[in-house]
Parts: sequence; C-alpha cells; structure tokens
Amino acid sequence: MTYKRFLSYQSTIMMASSMIFPFYVLLLKNVGHNYAQFGWAYGIFALTAAFAYPIIGKVSDKVGDKTLFFIYSFGMSIILLIFPLVTDVWHVYILQLFMGLLGAVQKNTEKTALARNVEKATAGKEIGAYHTTISIVAAIAIILTGYMVDFLTIASIFYVGSIIYIISAILLMKR
Amino acid sequence: MPKKYAVLLLVMYLLLFASSIYLYEMKHSNPVVTDSGQLLPIKMKSIKTATTEEELQQIVKQAKKDGDKLSIAGMQHSQGGQTLYPNAIMLDMKGYNKILAFDEKAKTITVQSGATWDDIQHYINPSGLALKVAQSQNIFTVGGSLSAIGHGRDIRYGSVIDTVESFRLLTPTGEIIEVSRSKNAELFPYVLGGYGLFGVILDMTLTLTDDELYTTDNVTIDYQEYTAFFEEKVLQRDEVKMHMARISVAPDSFLEEMYVTNYELAPNQEDLTEYNKLKGEPLIALPKFLLGLSRYSDWGKNIFWETQKKYMETTNHKLETRNNVMRSDSKFMEYDSVKQTEVLQEYFVPVHEFSSYIDDLREVLEAEKDFNLLNITIRYVDKSDQSIMSYAKDDMFALVMLINQGRTKQDIEDTGAVIEKMIDVTLAHDGSYYLPYYPYPTREQLHRAYPNAEDFFAMKRKFDPDELFMNMFYEEYGK
Repeated sequence: MTYKRFLSYQSTIMMASSMIFPFYVLLLKNVGHNYAQFGWAYGIFALTAAFAYPIIGKVSDKVGDKTLFFIYSFGMSIILLIFPLVTDVWHVYILQLFMGLLGAVQKNTEKTALARNVEKATAGKEIGAYHTTISIVAAIAIILTGYMVDFLTIASIFYVGSIIYIISAILLMKR
Repeated sequence: MPKKYAVLLLVMYLLLFASSIYLYEMKHSNPVVTDSGQLLPIKMKSIKTATTEEELQQIVKQAKKDGDKLSIAGMQHSQGGQTLYPNAIMLDMKGYNKILAFDEKAKTITVQSGATWDDIQHYINPSGLALKVAQSQNIFTVGGSLSAIGHGRDIRYGSVIDTVESFRLLTPTGEIIEVSRSKNAELFPYVLGGYGLFGVILDMTLTLTDDELYTTDNVTIDYQEYTAFFEEKVLQRDEVKMHMARISVAPDSFLEEMYVTNYELAPNQEDLTEYNKLKGEPLIALPKFLLGLSRYSDWGKNIFWETQKKYMETTNHKLETRNNVMRSDSKFMEYDSVKQTEVLQEYFVPVHEFSSYIDDLREVLEAEKDFNLLNITIRYVDKSDQSIMSYAKDDMFALVMLINQGRTKQDIEDTGAVIEKMIDVTLAHDGSYYLPYYPYPTREQLHRAYPNAEDFFAMKRKFDPDELFMNMFYEEYGK
C-alpha cells in the first residue's frame, strides 16, 4: 500500500467517522436515560478495544494493513446501518462492543501503516503533516454534516456514513 | 480478493442497506408524537391506552375517584396544549380505532374516534366511496379532527361537523350518551369543536359521498384577482369540487404572486378504477431539501417558490381521485432540530376582505425581517354555526402559515409579538384564527375572534363541574 493511497484512504474514513461521532451523542441522549449509561456505552467501547489490541497487533504483522483496513471499513459500513434502528440502550451497548473492536483495528493499523511508511529521522514532520490533512478533512466533514442534519434527519447521516465506508472498502480492493 | 467474493460482499451490503431503510421507515410510520409544536413540553402523570369502551369508562371513573385530571390525545398535532395538562393522565386514543359499521347504500360509516382518516379511506375506497370533508392530510384521528374542526380542500360539503350524523360521548360522570342533532342536541355544538373538554368521543357516524375522478387545473394569478377568480371560476362552477391555493413568501414576489389549484370533475368518470389505487407517500428528498434551503435564506425561499410553481405546471391536467386528493403529503415537513422548531398559524378572513387583508399583512411582515415565514397555503371554508367555537363566521379563506422559530424563551416572545400583530390585522378584517396552535394570542384576541367563547367555557364548567377533563388551552384561556 503506497503512502498516497494510505492517506486518501484515511481521509475518506476520517470523513465518515467524523460525520458520525459528534452526532452519535445525540442518539445516545435520545436512547439513554442517565449519565451512568452514557459512561457505560463509552466504557464498553474502550474495554473491548483494550482486550482486542494484543490480538490485532499480532494479526496485523501476518495479514497486512490492507486486509485489516478492509475489515474495518466493511464492518463499519454494516454497523452504521443498524444505528438508525436502535431503540434501547442495550442495543447501543452491543453496537459499542463491535465499534470498540473495529475502532481498535483502525487505530492500530493506522499506526503500523504509518510506522512502515515514514523515515525515522523525519517522522515528526511527516506524521505532523499527516495529521494536518486528516484533521482538515474531519473538520470539513463535521461542519457540513451539521447542515445536513438540519436538512435531513439524524438517521440519514448514518446512511451517508455507511455509504462512504463501503466506498472506502471498494477503493481498497482496487489494485 | 477474488472478484467473486467482492461482488458477493457488495450484494450483501446492498441488501442490508435496503432492509435497514425499510425497517427504519416501518418504525417511524407510527411515530410517538409529542405535541407537534414542541414548545410546550408537559410532564404527564401517565399515558393510558384502551381498546374497549369498558376500559375507557373504568379510566374515567377511576380518575374521578382519585381526583386525577384527564387529557385526551389523538395524533397530537394540535400545538396549543389541547392534549396536555401537567400531572394529568393522558388518554391516548390512537389504539381505539376500529371500524364499527359501514353501510354502503346509505353511505355512512361508524368508526371509533382513534381511527384515522387514512383508516377510513382504506376501508371505503374499494366500494367507490370517499370522505366528504377532512383535512388535506389524512394522518389525523377522526376524534381529533372533530374536536378541533379540521378543514381541507373540499368546497362543497360545508364543515367537517356537517358530515357527522351522531356520536357517543363518555361524559365526566362515566356515563355513555348518544349525541346527535335530535338526541342530547344541546351538547352537539359544544363537543364538536370542544377540544376534548366535555368528555371522550367514543365513536361517530359519518356520512360519505361517491369517489370521483378529478382533473387538476393550476393557474398562477395576482393576489388582487383572487377573490373575483374564486367567486366566478370556482364557486359558481359546480364542476369544481375542491380547491386550494398558495401565496408566495419568497422575497421576489412576497404576498403578491399566487397559484391556485382546482380539482374539477373529469369528463371520463368511467376511468375511475384506473386511478383509484390509494397513493402512498412519494419520495420526499427533493421538497424536503428545498424547504430546508428556504429555512436558511431568502435565496432558498425564491428557489423553493419557483420550483413549486414549475412542479405545479407539470401536474396540470393530472387525473386524481377524490380519495387521493384527500391524502396529501406532509412528511417532507417533518423537521428534526435541537434548537429550532416549526409552528403553524392559521387565519381566516372573509372572501371579500382578502386583497386588502394581504396588503395589511404584508405591511406588518415586511417590518419583521427576522420572522422566518416558510409557506402559506390557502383553502376555503364556508360559513358554519355547527359549533359554538366555529371560526367560520362568514365564507372565508383560511391561510395556514408555517413558521420556523427557535425554542428559547426569547424566541417564543419574538414570534409571539409578530403573531399578535398579525392577529390584530386579521381581527380588523373581521377575521378569526385557528385555536389549536401555540397560545400566542391574548385572551382579548380570543374573545374578539370567538364571540361565543364565554358561553363555551361556561358550558364546560356546567357540564364538567369538577373539571375532570383538562388541557392547557382551557387553563390558558378558559379559567
């Protein structure tokens, strides 16, 4: 996987994920009833990630970054289809479990891919430039999504997010 | 990855995508609605549903015994707290919705009050019958529409109350009585248009008419021509059965340009069966997007108006059955926003006052730059004294306004100030306003618009001395 492709892939999924996360809280607010449930939802996310990292780390070196990115993109595209249907807080817990797992895949692989791509001597500068690009994409996506929710519904952003994820998966498959 | 698997995964994704949207739509076809204005959140004691009259009777008797208050709710599209009262038990009537009797020959139907107009349409459409009067949208419960005197596009059958033969009322004492123009007749004009203050309407018998095939005729006109146009080209021509109009809120043609739609009896009635499949909700993305644009800017309002006009031109001469004309789309107006909401106002002015009224209204609104008026539709109501609280003191045009506003106290005050001015203008033209919206109007304005209001509230206290049936509207204006 070339650095250029890696960057465009990360930008695409950043767009999708930053569309969801700020507004995803609105959904939690509708579904959950108190702050403890809120805490649990995010706690589950972090906990699954914690358990998953050692395994993902090992797998990563064997199967390669591309395959893992594909699993992340495809998995997220499907999970986002379930979000609009959520009615109870336990649904959120289960989804958070999968999101934690997939989130860990993305986070770990993002870093291994970076590590494989940058020169040690200029790593600071390169990773700085990388984060600049990614953050700009995220900012634009979040702001535009705000308008989109005004025009459409909360549910629609999950569908749009899902479509962006599947596109990123398709782009990955192309040689 | 082999191509075979890739295609398989993609197909799987598309299937999941489609089923997710399908399930989402299903889930939201019966949304749990609060008062649709969303400015009056009220904590209720509980929400009770019932499917039999014994259960309803039991709830009323128990509430009376416990000293609880009751409020009655259908779809809760009233925005003035007519279905709400703090710490009261809310009777959710939506599940009380059976069709009890249908007489095809006599053209009557008896339904429980939680049935929607849509339920009735589905039941009677195969027999070639149609509703006489209902709102343009068919999502409301019959009990709700009659308690709030809904009206729509029909111009030939009078008020919706004229279509009621009789109904049964569960009174504040827990008795069930029959009410019609001959039995317990004194209650008839109070309960219909009574906003749930006299008891629970259990079921009612409505008169129906034949389903007919109409051609749509759209014309763009100037507001000054509207009254003459309506009298000559609409009322005096018997073949025109239904009518509606829109007046522009776009800055380029603000309160000047109009387009009117007439539904005329088509020459080829024998083709009715080709058109009488009841239509569903169409794709709403485009109108929803355009309405979204017009919320934000004058530019968007101009585009919305121009697009609406172009769309109307494409529907010219379209054939549609009476039942389908009476099931118009409303979904594109649904609006999710944390800070903003959309409220309705409706003003009635005598047909002859229309053009001078619009001039005065324009003067008020042009000074209110921050007032975000999104849409005005116009329909006709003829004079009716079937309800004590009738708004149709004369043959009138009804202007329904859609207003986008914020939810803070300041926003409510700002909107309220403009609305009070608009109502003053309306009253100055011998008009009135529709009650089921947010209680912006002052008490004095209510009594000017509804000269019988005093009598109405007095009867409420006489019939329900313990004030078992309560709502925010009565609290605000009647006590």
